[in-house]
Amino acid sequence: MNNARRNFVIAVGAGVAVLGGAFAMLRSPAAEAAVQNGAAAPGFSVVDSAGRTRTLDEFNGKTVVLEWTNHDCPYVKKHYATGNMQALQREATAAGVTWLTVISSAPGKQGHVSGAAADQLTTSRSAAPSAVLLDESGAVGRLYAARTTPHMYVIGPDRKLVYQGGIDDRNSSDHATVQGARNYVREALAAVRAGRAPETASAPPYGCSIKYAG
Amino acid sequence: MALRAFLFLLLAAFASFGAAPAHAQIVRTQNAETELLSARAAAAPGETVTLVLRQKKREGWHTYWINPGDSGEPPRLTWTLPAGYEAGALLYPAPRIERLGPITTYVHDDETLYPIALKIPEDARAGADAAISLKATWLICAEICVPEEGAFRLSLPIRAEGRDDARGARLADEAIAALPQSVTTLGFDFKAGDRISIGFPRADAPPNPLSEAITGVNLRNPQYFPYSQALIDHAGEQTVTRRDGQILIDMPLSLSFIKNEAKGEGLLVAEINEGGRWTKRAFMFGNPPDTTLLPTAVARAWAGEAPLASAPRDVQRSAGFVDFLGYILAAFVGGLILNIMPCVFPVLSIKALSLAGGAHAGTARRHGLLFLAGVMATFMALAAVLLALRAAGSAAGWGFQLQEPALIGALALLFFAIGLNLIGAFDIGGSLQNVGGGLAEKGGDVGAFATGALAVVAATPCTAPFMAGALGWAATAPPVASLAVFAGLGLGFAAPFTLLAFAPGLQKLLPKPGAWMDKAKQFLAFPMFAAAVWLVWVLSVQTGAMGTLALLAVFVAFAFAVWAWRLGFVWRVIAGLVLIGVLAGAWTPMTTVVSAADAGAPTKSASLDGEVWSPERVAELRAAGAPVFVNFTAAWCVSCKFNEGAALSRPGLRKFFAERGVIYLKGDWTARDDVIARELAAHGRSGVPLYLYYAPGAAEPVILPQILTEDIVRNAITAAGTPPQGESL
Repeated sequence: MNNARRNFVIAVGAGVAVLGGAFAMLRSPAAEAAVQNGAAAPGFSVVDSAGRTRTLDEFNGKTVVLEWTNHDCPYVKKHYATGNMQALQREATAAGVTWLTVISSAPGKQGHVSGAAADQLTTSRSAAPSAVLLDESGAVGRLYAARTTPHMYVIGPDRKLVYQGGIDDRNSSDHATVQGARNYVREALAAVRAGRAPETASAPPYGCSIKYAG
Repeated sequence: MALRAFLFLLLAAFASFGAAPAHAQIVRTQNAETELLSARAAAAPGETVTLVLRQKKREGWHTYWINPGDSGEPPRLTWTLPAGYEAGALLYPAPRIERLGPITTYVHDDETLYPIALKIPEDARAGADAAISLKATWLICAEICVPEEGAFRLSLPIRAEGRDDARGARLADEAIAALPQSVTTLGFDFKAGDRISIGFPRADAPPNPLSEAITGVNLRNPQYFPYSQALIDHAGEQTVTRRDGQILIDMPLSLSFIKNEAKGEGLLVAEINEGGRWTKRAFMFGNPPDTTLLPTAVARAWAGEAPLASAPRDVQRSAGFVDFLGYILAAFVGGLILNIMPCVFPVLSIKALSLAGGAHAGTARRHGLLFLAGVMATFMALAAVLLALRAAGSAAGWGFQLQEPALIGALALLFFAIGLNLIGAFDIGGSLQNVGGGLAEKGGDVGAFATGALAVVAATPCTAPFMAGALGWAATAPPVASLAVFAGLGLGFAAPFTLLAFAPGLQKLLPKPGAWMDKAKQFLAFPMFAAAVWLVWVLSVQTGAMGTLALLAVFVAFAFAVWAWRLGFVWRVIAGLVLIGVLAGAWTPMTTVVSAADAGAPTKSASLDGEVWSPERVAELRAAGAPVFVNFTAAWCVSCKFNEGAALSRPGLRKFFAERGVIYLKGDWTARDDVIARELAAHGRSGVPLYLYYAPGAAEPVILPQILTEDIVRNAITAAGTPPQGESL
């Protein structure tokens, strides 16, 4: 192949690639774009385990923790079997924080539970959330781009997103790793109380993937 | 009774089939089967051994790459090693992207081979066994996730001289070949602002063929995989553009991105157009974290000193019991067919003639069984030697004994002697019963056994259909299974004559004995002489003109001794001395393998008769998009020579090759060659012939049958594809 022909082929190839890229960006789904730290936490409306409709607006002026969960996920089990999650829930709610546990598992998938079963889990595990939200459609999870169980979010009294990511820095399902872990949620809550930004506003979430519908 | 003993052996083989070798300890968990292997059966102090963690996952289940992506966790290892020993990191092949709703993860499916380096300290004590202990944990997910774990123990003998473990070494090679190809030396550009941008290769990298192949129009669907979990938004779109010989990939940031810690090292996985076919390839820029201790081959490749081996081929893995029975059956049929192969037929015809004499039924039966015993004993001995060589890490295969010039010489002499005997030059024992073999003079019973042994030895240059696959499988199977396959081959080989000995009805079909038998016997001397001449030629390829001269001198001395034997004691002593003297003089030239160039052997010449095969040459030609035909052959391989005469050397086929630009490569296995032996093994064979055709761009070669005609070759090449004619790209 001569040079001119070759250059032509390259030029055409590059043109196709650029067009393709532009097209891809246009149709990139905005609904699943993550919420940036410091941006306003998006509002939602979803039923809780008692069947009542709950919205984020109810908790205006309060610090809110969102905890995505799936009671059969080994990573969630690590935090509940060791009492780590419950301790953090009690510590937070005692300080006036609202703790919302969210289940985004679709019906028929792992972690999906009825309201009664969710309450039963709260009792049997001595958990202390302010409410358990049943997000079967996955709308709330997708709104926050929640990916794993557990995946944690801290929202400040001003509705701004303060922290999102893993509960701590130990990506493991080994129960022994809870000991000595750096708990980013506890740090973020302390920062909110002190009126400053947390040192780590985002860390990779870890755990099982959320069993979304579709 | 030989038959009963054999049946017992076969039963024992069945009973213990499945007993794994001591080192291969498989941990079976709910969703995976995992084992830790060593490439070395014994390691020397100071060496770096490659260990392999092999994990076969349940269908639909996956484990995670070093960067798992949005969820998941890579496997984790905890070693317990003797003091001074050090284990390197788990090395990963390139992952696949798994998308589940908004979640993107990087996973491995099916079977994954992870190489791991193990450094033996210089002061390790030779003679002791090192206790290597590993606890591995891994998260395995389908839609749901299960953490699993396994404890593995290896007892690695430390010896002054290390040696390979056949299966471990094969899997280690395969594991290393599956690693991404390092292109670290080409560098890359990395920008982290509101988005991440990777430019490959580095903008100021000097031009080179590799980066051209990667960045040219010959690449599609590139995908970037960072080692760091906190760099890009895994689910985000990767926008690819090309500019000034660079591929630019632009991606949204990870929410967990921390600017000052960001590094762009990772993999570029893309489909590359290699001569018309798109093949998925993985390139690595920057070594993965914590990889200071690497298997030697990997360290060299990553330092830019050598390319990694070409991608692994589809070799046989664990086979089920049904496969095992299938291979035994194939071996049996192959053994039956061996009877009519040109190497064996004359020997057996002579033996069959002995029955035509209307031998006493009891004697015939006894001889039939003794023949069977001789065949089985020889096959078992061959199998045992093969297994021993294999255990010692040597890549030996079917026909390996013919790679020893001394054995070729001895066989040639034996055939010559049988020929002389048949034609009546000398007569020991006198009866037709005993002409089966040179050792037969001790009488009928020994003769029957010796004929069996001789027939097997004579059969080794021939490969019958069905045999190749079975023996190839046996070469990598557990020892007991290997023995069983060889037993199947022996049983098939011995069956016709043994049955004849047991069936007086069949014996009646043989012509009535008479004067013709003497003529027939003398006639059969000529195939024997022909076999001897052919073996002399084989030796000439191995040892050159001097070796041939030496062997022919031994022939003369032997003939002289045969003649002198009748003349009384003094002549016998003289002849004995002459024979000993000539043998002593002939030994060195007869057993010294000379290089191809010195020998001027026709099979090794690179001119008209095809180029010399090497893995590098194949890789080079394939990279250039050329179709390649490979012929693995040996001077002692009768089937190979037959195929060359009937097909490969024919002008018509040569013209066909030339028209289509097919490059003809020849790998000569006449003398021992471990590189060729390994290549044969990679295609599931343990011996020659093996014919491969690499169509341009095809990931795998086509394997042609054992018996070739011009049409078979033409059709195979046409079916697999050749480059379009009349156009040069």
